Amino acid sequence: MASLKRSILLLILCGYTAFAAGPFVWAAMLSLRTTTEIHLDHFALPDPIHWEKFPDAWFNSNYATYFLNSVQVVVAAVLIVTIVGAMAAHCLARYRFRFNRLIYFVLFSTIIFPPQITIISLFQVLVNYGLYNSKLGLTLVYVAIQLPLTVYILESFFARIPADLFDAARMDGYSDWEIFWRVALPVALPAVATTVILNFILLWNEFLFAVVLITEEANRTLPLGIQRFIGDTQEDIGMIATGLMIAIIPVVVIYAFFSEKLIQGMTAGAVK
Amino acid sequence: MAIVKLDNLTKVYDRSHGAAADSVSLEIGHGEFMVLLGPSGCGKTTTLRMIAGLESITDGTLSIDGKVVNKVPAKDRDIAMVFQSYALYPHMTVKNNLAFGLRRRSVPRAEIEEKVQRVAATLELDSLLGRRPHALSGGQRQRVALGRAIVRDPKVFLFDEPLSNLDAALRVSTRVEIAALHRRLGATMIYVTHDQIEAMTMGTRICIMNGGRVMQVGKPLHVYRRPVNTFVAGFLGNPPMNLIPATVTDRDGGRSVRVGEAVLRVPEKRAPASMPGSPVTFGIRAEHVALTAQTGEDTAEIAGEVVQVESLGAETIVMTRLAGVENNFVARVAGDADVTVGERCRLFLDLSETHLFDAQGQSMSTEPNERTA
Amino acid sequence: MAEGAETRVADDGLRRPWGTILAFLLPALTLYVALTAYPAVRTFWNSFHIVLPRREEFVGLANYVELAGDDIFWRAVSNTLVWACASPVIEVSIALLLALALYAKVPGARFFRVAWFTPVLMSYIVVGILWLWIYNYDWGPINVALRALGLDHLARPWLGDPDTALPALIFVASWMWVGFNMVVLLAALHSLPREVIEAAELDNCGWGGKLIFVILPLVSATLLNLVVLSFIGKMKIFDLVWITTKGNPLWSTETVSTYVYKRAFEWTTFDLGYPSTIAAVWFVIVLAAVLGLTRLFKLREKLEY
Repeated sequence: MASLKRSILLLILCGYTAFAAGPFVWAAMLSLRTTTEIHLDHFALPDPIHWEKFPDAWFNSNYATYFLNSVQVVVAAVLIVTIVGAMAAHCLARYRFRFNRLIYFVLFSTIIFPPQITIISLFQVLVNYGLYNSKLGLTLVYVAIQLPLTVYILESFFARIPADLFDAARMDGYSDWEIFWRVALPVALPAVATTVILNFILLWNEFLFAVVLITEEANRTLPLGIQRFIGDTQEDIGMIATGLMIAIIPVVVIYAFFSEKLIQGMTAGAVK
Repeated sequence: MAIVKLDNLTKVYDRSHGAAADSVSLEIGHGEFMVLLGPSGCGKTTTLRMIAGLESITDGTLSIDGKVVNKVPAKDRDIAMVFQSYALYPHMTVKNNLAFGLRRRSVPRAEIEEKVQRVAATLELDSLLGRRPHALSGGQRQRVALGRAIVRDPKVFLFDEPLSNLDAALRVSTRVEIAALHRRLGATMIYVTHDQIEAMTMGTRICIMNGGRVMQVGKPLHVYRRPVNTFVAGFLGNPPMNLIPATVTDRDGGRSVRVGEAVLRVPEKRAPASMPGSPVTFGIRAEHVALTAQTGEDTAEIAGEVVQVESLGAETIVMTRLAGVENNFVARVAGDADVTVGERCRLFLDLSETHLFDAQGQSMSTEPNERTA
Repeated sequence: MAEGAETRVADDGLRRPWGTILAFLLPALTLYVALTAYPAVRTFWNSFHIVLPRREEFVGLANYVELAGDDIFWRAVSNTLVWACASPVIEVSIALLLALALYAKVPGARFFRVAWFTPVLMSYIVVGILWLWIYNYDWGPINVALRALGLDHLARPWLGDPDTALPALIFVASWMWVGFNMVVLLAALHSLPREVIEAAELDNCGWGGKLIFVILPLVSATLLNLVVLSFIGKMKIFDLVWITTKGNPLWSTETVSTYVYKRAFEWTTFDLGYPSTIAAVWFVIVLAAVLGLTRLFKLREKLEY
């Protein structure tokens, strides 16, 4: 009886797994088949496997540009937001001063802002400074939108580092700046890694700000590229599927290596 | 080695709360082991942190070897500190923990290596040099924290309750180790604790603090025998000194006090004659109270009732109730004493060891004393 | 207190090296002020103006008056609110059931956990395109399955039908987020003190009893947190709609985000003032809703996007 119950339970769980992962498996199969094959049967296994579609999409559909743009913008933004955010978080966690909690609260509450409140004016600001339609402009905006979350996650971690450790480093002769780089940051490495991975994935997938702030083909990031691609080749399902797979490969790779870390980062703070 | 001089050192965190350390004056000589002792919140850690340079000094001066260092940053004071939590860098190996402070001071690489090896050998940390702090036991971490201070060869060592995170057995052995270290290095050490056994056994002098103020400074035994006020009398010693409200009588020219229903004559050297009727506190340590007849000249006998008996093996602590006195009156007697709760008993007090404190709680003894500076 | 107390400077013990504090905070504050605070304020300023590429004109409350009578805006508000209210209920309740199933020590729990979490890692763009295909009228798996079961009359262009488009998109968003909610709830369940549940067993509680009287109250804070998070997320939703329906058909999937975007960057009015008004009003609505929700649930802190 107990084992029967257990089997039913397992069946439900497997069913849900198929439901959750099925679309990706299907898309993965489509990505390895030509559109002609697909139109014959949408659900057949890839046979033969058309690996050549990947280099084809990469070289003939501007995917290389989109991909490299995404890499540039996202890597630079993650790097900057990690350092700038860690500095602010360390400062808010360690030093007691007037306005400390006020600054923290203002940063923190920004997390709930709807993006529309800034996006129109950001467009104006970037146009004014000649940063509209540039990768630098998008990078800076990405830093700004991920800053509150980064400070929030890191501050709670920095605050748990015992103050004695900083006092010891001071007695050992290190300046505040060196203490940040050589003590606080290394000690907080697990949390820093979490924010890096989290920010990378969130920005890799970012669409709204990119679509507003970038219009030039040469500066498009991957999500924009995909959108453009389906606009151009509405019916070429096979090629679109290949493009989708290229876009999610970095995320899949990161998830394969850091799934625990990533889940931890995304769920941090939601558990109480 | 160095002389550390505190002159009216004061720390005010928040004006509405008064001073955390209030005009602390203290001179710690070359190679001295000074223990700052007191209950939590007495200002001892604040004082230590001011010496370290971790807290700003609100008022007063701090000098090391005659040089005022109020404004000198911690790193330039040539002081090392052992923290209560050890504060080992969790991301560094034991070796790097030891070397971290030296690297900053532009000590040549080879010399750092040599110093670290030597200190590691003294503290038996050789085999642990490659480990991270989380892979060490509490005692080992403690030794690394000590080593980190020693390796820098500072003028002054500061200890902030370094034993409070150790279990009882380890605490005893580390106590011995630190005392031995002090003898070997001959360095000036300042040690903060709330544990009176540590203070009594390790300090060349102790400084008892309460409410941010220095109560008494002196050699451990001297402070124990000649407490200057009721706070010190009650804080030092276990069980604490019996302190009982009393009144000066008109007998013996104002040298007798009424304790409950008994009248006791206090020896001349222990108190000057006072105005009959003035309120005082009568104090006597438990070891100067006996349950068997004593013959000394200054022995007094009073009646009591046993209310509780704690047999500790080597000795027995007997709590009694005296007629007309609210507080328990404690006697410490031999372990084989035969006492039962509820029985009436006779208590023999050695009055030459009594202490009288005036209405302000200050000792009335006329004997020469090392007073607070 | 000793004499001269008045001249002492009160401080809280830590040195306050303003130079250092400023150096640490300045980069973050600069970015925040330049790219978040200033644009937000400017949006409010815009909302009282007509903002054309070469001309700005103060119009007072005219934009707000126009907005009050803008049917598409109110349609978008109602769509977004329906979405923001439906999603949390669907996501959190399904997630709770799945989390409880995994909590009952099923083999392969780790695998399930990792697998279910994947949809949330993919961008709305990728997910949107996948579901465009899944909902395809001719060959999408849903219609194919319905026809195979002989339910041809149920097959329809799910995203092309004004009656089904919004529910279909809500379904997609829930598909994406259930896994996330489940993982969070599972973590909350695993952090429950074992003794409490064992004590409930000793008190002769069955599974249902344990669930209602012990487990649910203990994870209630997490549940409420997830509801708020899901609510906030759906109030912002843009990408999924933009890639699939662009608000069509007949504004049935228009959300406030897509409407702002259209008015600002797609319509040929070129005016940035009116969309700023929408953004400003929407900002106030979102803030009020979130404050109301958190007040309602009495949780103040520890929210995450």
